[in-house]
Amino acid sequence: MGEVHVIGQIVGASGFPDHSLFCKWGIHTGGAWKVLSGLREGQTQVDNPQNHEAAFWSHPIDIHFATKGLQGWPKIHFQVWHQDQYGRNELYGYGFCHLPTSPGIHEMECSTWRPTGTFFQQVSQFFLGGGPQLKNPDLIYSGADRYKLHTIAMGKVHLRLGLILRNFDRFGIEC
Amino acid sequence: MASNSVFLLMVSGQIESAEFPEFDDVYCRYCFTHGQDWLITSGLEEGITQVTKKSQDEKQRFVWNFPIDITFKSTNPSGWPQIVVHAYGPDVFGTDVVRGYGNCHVPITPGRHKLKIPMFVPESSSAFQKLTSWFLGRRPEYIDPRVVAQGEGREVTRVRSQGFLTLSFNVVMKDMKKLGYDILPSDISHAAIVESVGPAPTSSEA
Repeated sequence: MGEVHVIGQIVGASGFPDHSLFCKWGIHTGGAWKVLSGLREGQTQVDNPQNHEAAFWSHPIDIHFATKGLQGWPKIHFQVWHQDQYGRNELYGYGFCHLPTSPGIHEMECSTWRPTGTFFQQVSQFFLGGGPQLKNPDLIYSGADRYKLHTIAMGKVHLRLGLILRNFDRFGIEC
Repeated sequence: MASNSVFLLMVSGQIESAEFPEFDDVYCRYCFTHGQDWLITSGLEEGITQVTKKSQDEKQRFVWNFPIDITFKSTNPSGWPQIVVHAYGPDVFGTDVVRGYGNCHVPITPGRHKLKIPMFVPESSSAFQKLTSWFLGRRPEYIDPRVVAQGEGREVTRVRSQGFLTLSFNVVMKDMKKLGYDILPSDISHAAIVESVGPAPTSSEA
């Protein structure tokens, strides 16, 4: 059985309209993968940066998978939320990214998007906040019914992930 | 003796410098956290740096140049060691208050790495508490700084990031390949793609 260790952090996010942000993340895999240790989902702290235009979380990820096949390679998906000074939460973006397939340290950026509503919903979102959210969060990392969505681009989530693979060369896998 | 199932990780490096635009006279303490399968075979797990003032030029950096030397042994990469650095400095009344917590994993590939990590402080939950903590010099702090290195329980904390710390590491490993672990891609000409990012919060050179 091949084993994959993912050791790294969700560094932060930039490019959003306001930077008091937190992120809910999760790792989704196919059926052949099993988590041996580590958390496969979580939520970062809320960061309200003092001096710069990006939120920094430094949220550690340390997860150990065992797998019987290459299908369903893990994907990490995010929901970036904004928290204002009154404690209200507003969705700022969804995004996902496949975990790298080659061992080593990878610095990645994952772009995010947010669903838009009708014109009147956008006007009320401008004044009041809020806005449409996905009912089924599986749509973040699956392409199944995406054609029905209208979205707009939001900022980026920055990751620094290290990957350690074990026994993959024993099965003849080159990566 | 199961000595053939153990690998070693040797880390040498330094806490180089930091940028804290609003503060002066800062010192750092660091500690390493790791999982249950890890053991420190030599080196210091914790330390305190000197107190330094910021430089007089426009860059306003704090330089410590503080050496870090530690060797771990383990049977399992889970629980890979992390370094937690916490910076302190005097406030306007002279008491030492926390100026930032930062954490990062020790790099998993051998070689030279330079990392810039953000430093953040916990925020008080109400404006009144902010005022009293400013007067009394008792800012919100973590009781155990190692909590910064964990992924659980962070969703209820609000923090403010206010500076960066630069660390450099030289990493050497022993016996990882023998145990079947691959930490470098098999084909060097297809090494990881470096994306050019705009306002990248961190930078790393290997």
